Amino acid sequence: MKPYALFKKDYHSELRTRYAINSLVMFIIVALSVILFSIGNEKIPQNLTAGLLWVVIFFSAMSGLSRAFVSEEERGTSLILHLIAAPTTIFSGKLLFNLILVFLMNIIITILYSVLFEEFIIRNFLLFFLTFILSNIGLAIASTIIAAIISKAGAKGTLYPVLSFPILLPLILISVMLTSYSMVGTSFADAVIELAVLACYDVIMLTISYMLFDFIWKD
Amino acid sequence: MKNKYLFGGIIIVVFIGLMGYLVTQSSIKYENNINKIKTENKTVKATGQWVREKDYNYDLKSRMFTFYMKDEQGNQMKVVYNGAIPNNFKSAQSLVVSGKYQNGYFKANSILTKCPSKYEGQKIQSSGI
Repeated sequence: MKPYALFKKDYHSELRTRYAINSLVMFIIVALSVILFSIGNEKIPQNLTAGLLWVVIFFSAMSGLSRAFVSEEERGTSLILHLIAAPTTIFSGKLLFNLILVFLMNIIITILYSVLFEEFIIRNFLLFFLTFILSNIGLAIASTIIAAIISKAGAKGTLYPVLSFPILLPLILISVMLTSYSMVGTSFADAVIELAVLACYDVIMLTISYMLFDFIWKD
Repeated sequence: MKNKYLFGGIIIVVFIGLMGYLVTQSSIKYENNINKIKTENKTVKATGQWVREKDYNYDLKSRMFTFYMKDEQGNQMKVVYNGAIPNNFKSAQSLVVSGKYQNGYFKANSILTKCPSKYEGQKIQSSGI
């Protein structure tokens, strides 16, 4: 069984229930409108705009991405997955699904954000684009492995953001910094170190996830 | 199977090391030579003093705060800061402005003022015993 087949299965079951997509879209709309109402006519500084964008992204990810493994556990299908595929394959399939979901979510958030907030102007587009891709990959990897960890636990809804926060903290700090850099219009050469740190984070998370998933899954 | 963990462990160690190295590189350095700031064109934390002879200026419309700064050698540069004047700017002994030199002035993102402390210990009178 290839990872792609697992992805297709997730894709079809997601289209049928629309659980993750609905909760993501609802959360994005609610969070953005709360921010919009609370700001009103005031002009907010640029670094605050970048921070608020990442607040929305973080909590949207928390509301939808845990579904990857929790849904298997709730429907009692995880044992069948055990039988038909190797742990690495399962992780790849779930990661692929979460990657698509994260990219979809963040594209929607960024488009809505740039439409709704006039302060949100990207001056260095290439820098923002690279930040966007690298941080989305990191977010997808971290949220997939944490979803696998919490899927066996009791209080899943609360445990997920609590466990994610320390793991995602470096990613979010660097992403906020890079987003405000690209809004100010810092040159690419000045931000290349932060981008490299972000890429390192992605590689580390990916390696750790593939190493640890065997133990999490066999439990 | 064992090779996988060995290989993965090596990758993790190498990249954590790289990450740590990069983090130490990215921190903004202090610079107290204004001539260097003008030529290097990097984001730095410039330390120096406010030139009292040249007055500072605050433009209410554009919220631009402009003043001149000098270092120990007496080199001067114009500093532009988009924001309010820091509280104890006038009484500050020295300033730390972080930003970048461009287009003939230093564009500051933040200004830190170092003030004469009111908590400095008074000289204890020796009782001459």
